Amino acid sequence: MDTELDLRVKADWAEMGRVNEEAGGFLAACGLGAEAVQMYTMVVCELVENAIKYGVFVDEEDRIEVHVTVSPVSVSVQVTHHCQVTGGPALGDLDRTVQWLRSYQAPFEAYVARMKAISREPLDADKSGLGLARITYEGRALLDFYVDENSRLSVSAVSSLV
Amino acid sequence: MGTVQTYDNNQLHVEVDAAERAVTLRFLGKSMLREPGEFLLPLLLKTLSEAIDGKKRIVLDFRELAYMNSSTLTPVIKILERARVGKGEITLVYRKALKWQDISFSALVIFQTPDGRILIQGEG
Repeated sequence: MDTELDLRVKADWAEMGRVNEEAGGFLAACGLGAEAVQMYTMVVCELVENAIKYGVFVDEEDRIEVHVTVSPVSVSVQVTHHCQVTGGPALGDLDRTVQWLRSYQAPFEAYVARMKAISREPLDADKSGLGLARITYEGRALLDFYVDENSRLSVSAVSSLV
Repeated sequence: MGTVQTYDNNQLHVEVDAAERAVTLRFLGKSMLREPGEFLLPLLLKTLSEAIDGKKRIVLDFRELAYMNSSTLTPVIKILERARVGKGEITLVYRKALKWQDISFSALVIFQTPDGRILIQGEG
């Protein structure tokens, strides 16, 4: 049987503590072991961090929607929010990053390549770009995304439990 | 144990323990800052500079860190690389028994140097 968690998150970094606690609590309540709880909590938090950083929030009531499903065979995380479909760099960056990650046979290789790239960047360059690589490597997840007719971006990460 | 100073930012706490031969930075709590580099990089650079002057090794001890976001690794990577290509001795210690720490930190072995100046060690 599937067990589901839905969170509505304000685009405010102060929400990250709550997201971390609630995701971890839900995953533990699903009966996952401590290692799996830490792993998939990281996946949820990294996706929500990206949503806060790169989403478009015009309306005060705009929220990031987080949907987590735990089934006997997988953990699925989907994070949805408004985005700038045309003229904005975030969607293009996301597309390029996902394609880049898929170009590696092993997620570890992409993770190491990104770490090497960070090491060559100036000290004041603050964008890590490591989050999605970490999701595929540490979270062993397959990443995907789509944009619906209302310019809402959904990014999903699905990890197999078997 | 030498002089211990504590630096706090949100749920992340860093204890800096300056002893005779080494300066140990113990990372405690959760690192979920939006820009961890703004907090950590100045602290790491200052510690590296002082450690080089005092001919001390820096120990970055992450064993008691409960969680970190990926942005936290950026200043760590940069200080390891700065020491690798320049001066300084750094040992990064993580808890091998914690799977997320083992996966995240063991990959930093690419910054390890053959002469032992930069060491990445999984313990416990």
